[in-house]
Amino acid sequence: MSAVTQAVLLPAPERDDSPRRHLDIAPTRAQRRARPRIYAALAAIGGIGVILLAQLLMSIVLADGAYHIAALKNEQRDLVREQNAAQERIEELSSTQSLMQNAAALGMVSSGNPVFLDVLTGQALGVAGPASGQVVGVNGNYIPNTLTADGSTLIDPAKIAAGQGAKGGSTVTATDAAPDADGSGVAPVAPKPGTIPSPTTR
Amino acid sequence: MINARRMRRRLSLAVVAVFAIVALFSIRLVDIQVVRAEALSNVAGGNYREATTWGTRGSIVDRNGTVLASSVDRFNITAAPDLVDLEGFDRIVVDGDKKTRVAVSFQQAVSEIAEATGADPAALTKALTADPESKFVYLVKSVKLAVFQAVADLRIPWVYSEPQPARSYPNGAIGGNLIGLMGTDGALSGTELKWNECLASANGTTSYAVSQDGVRMPGSEVVETPAVNGGTVHLTIDADLQWFAQQALHEQGSVIGAQWGTAMVVEIKTGKIVAAADWPTVDPNDPNSAKADDAGARSFTAPYEPGSLIKTATVAGMLDAGVLTPTTPFTVPSAYYIGDDVIHDSWAHDTLRYTAAGILVNSSNIGIGQMTELQSNADRIENLKAFGFGSPTGADFLGEEDGQVRGLDSTDPVTAVTQQFGQGMTATSAQVMSLYQTIGNHGVRIPLTLVEGCEQPDGTYVDVPDPQGTRVVSESAADTTVNILENVVTNYHLGPVLQVPGYRIAAKSGTAEVAKNGRYTSDRIVSVAGLFPAEDPQYAIDVTFAFPVTIKSSRAAAPTFNALAKQVIKTFRIPPSTEPAPSIPLTW
Repeated sequence: MSAVTQAVLLPAPERDDSPRRHLDIAPTRAQRRARPRIYAALAAIGGIGVILLAQLLMSIVLADGAYHIAALKNEQRDLVREQNAAQERIEELSSTQSLMQNAAALGMVSSGNPVFLDVLTGQALGVAGPASGQVVGVNGNYIPNTLTADGSTLIDPAKIAAGQGAKGGSTVTATDAAPDADGSGVAPVAPKPGTIPSPTTR
Repeated sequence: MINARRMRRRLSLAVVAVFAIVALFSIRLVDIQVVRAEALSNVAGGNYREATTWGTRGSIVDRNGTVLASSVDRFNITAAPDLVDLEGFDRIVVDGDKKTRVAVSFQQAVSEIAEATGADPAALTKALTADPESKFVYLVKSVKLAVFQAVADLRIPWVYSEPQPARSYPNGAIGGNLIGLMGTDGALSGTELKWNECLASANGTTSYAVSQDGVRMPGSEVVETPAVNGGTVHLTIDADLQWFAQQALHEQGSVIGAQWGTAMVVEIKTGKIVAAADWPTVDPNDPNSAKADDAGARSFTAPYEPGSLIKTATVAGMLDAGVLTPTTPFTVPSAYYIGDDVIHDSWAHDTLRYTAAGILVNSSNIGIGQMTELQSNADRIENLKAFGFGSPTGADFLGEEDGQVRGLDSTDPVTAVTQQFGQGMTATSAQVMSLYQTIGNHGVRIPLTLVEGCEQPDGTYVDVPDPQGTRVVSESAADTTVNILENVVTNYHLGPVLQVPGYRIAAKSGTAEVAKNGRYTSDRIVSVAGLFPAEDPQYAIDVTFAFPVTIKSSRAAAPTFNALAKQVIKTFRIPPSTEPAPSIPLTW
């Protein structure tokens, strides 16, 4: 009752001059959900695009890698072959026949009666004497080796000397050897029972 | 209401679409997997290549790792005559960044190959043009890497290559008789054949897909069978000493006009053979470098009547049995009669008053004949067999012979005596060596070994011999025998040739008669066997020459024994003896 009375009593509202407010139809729940779906679709398509692109790049890299692997494998095979060839050459050079050839070329001769220098005591052991009886190897090597027969393992000492001269004339000096406690330049020796102690030389 | 209906329609549409896709895929699947399966797999297989991966045959090395036999890379240069264009081809020459085309004529290409390989250009031209339809010919076989690279660098489009593993023996004839030979189809003789199971490799296969331009497809490689490398056979030989022994045999053998010779060095305490030299020797790089008879190792495969070297076994056995002492007196007549048969000494003499030691040092056959009266034949045969005569040495070399010691039932009265001084029985150099190893090792016989084992690619050793020593004679009998034999070097006519100043050496000489067609001839097999240092024997040496012409006695072998003894002393740095050899009375 009082409400009605009040309503009557209120003055009629004045006409509003301000422009009419824009009204929208409130979106339905379905419509509200629809918009994010478009974003999701775009994101999915974009994602697929990115994946395809990545796949393409990856296969390019992979194919490139395949070429790289193939090239490296070939290189490895070639290097192994080179190593084998070098090893073969070392074995030929270090053969006894090759050493004989080169020792003879340097004017080396067979030694006589065995005499040793005991590096622990500094004593000479044995009876020194000129080579007597059958002096083996004095007339050259009789044990054939087809691989060194062509003289391919013969080293020219003059060439080596020239090579060392070119490098400033440095030959191996005592200081080049590993320094040891007594400064003698000779590696310490552990005597083996029944043999004469001797430094290991190469 | 409308929404619900629409939803249902959409859903059924999606389901139908899914089923349609699945059906489509199934049809495609059946089409690929069943209907067109064979055609497709043929196409795919065409892109697959199979490659041989090469296993490497193992090496044979000496005790220090020095390579005596190894596998090396060799290449066959091949060509495809059907691709040969007689007009020539354009070679792309890269000079820095610039690439230029250079026309190369066919003849020029051929002469380039000839220059790189050393082959005959006419032969190459013939091979390439004989059959223009042919897809494959060999141009040059088995070239080294440098030559192969030089040919590859020529970039001739119709030239191809294939790997061809080969065998190389970097030390040539050193140990050639022990190593043996390889043929095109595999091992033929020696250690190569005996230890083939260890050395042999197996090739493997790999298959892989290739792209149009021949590049391996990533991840397509399938190793069907992996290649297996062979193992390394370690010999007990010292290659340098082996060279020395062979060289010494060759020098002296040529001087005395012998037909063949053997020399052996054995480590007394282990039975390891340090050198087993034969002369003549084969260079395995060139199988034709020796006659077939000379390509083997006579040290193991050629039994002969060893003669006086066996007296050592007889005396040691009798010392051990206690029927003899070094000073037992004998009155040695000028001849020894067995029924109608007579045994002489190598020099004419009247009655001599020798001790047992004197009989051994002066090598009196008559004296040994008298000694045999002190011991039963059965015991004497037993003694020889205990020293290893008539049975394998343990070295297990291919084709090793056992020699022959007659048994009790097959010895006639003469052989019963003569085989005590090495006639009427046979032994190899290796068996003689085993006798001196036993005497030097204080009476304990250790089977000889030639191979230290097979090192497999993973570094483990298999087939390592484990020789077990057996006592043959007592320590005192063996040591006394060594002391008696020292007198051969100090008190015998060969002494000055055999001795090495500063060292105590025990040795025994032998000059054996060689029987032919059941009769002893004027041919001799001469030898010296010994051991040192006598106070603590380390190495035993045996040198033998067969059928010498200029010197027909053991004097022919003595200088080589001496040279070898000196070399063994140098190689193994054996200190000089500090005390003089004991003197044992040789006469009474």
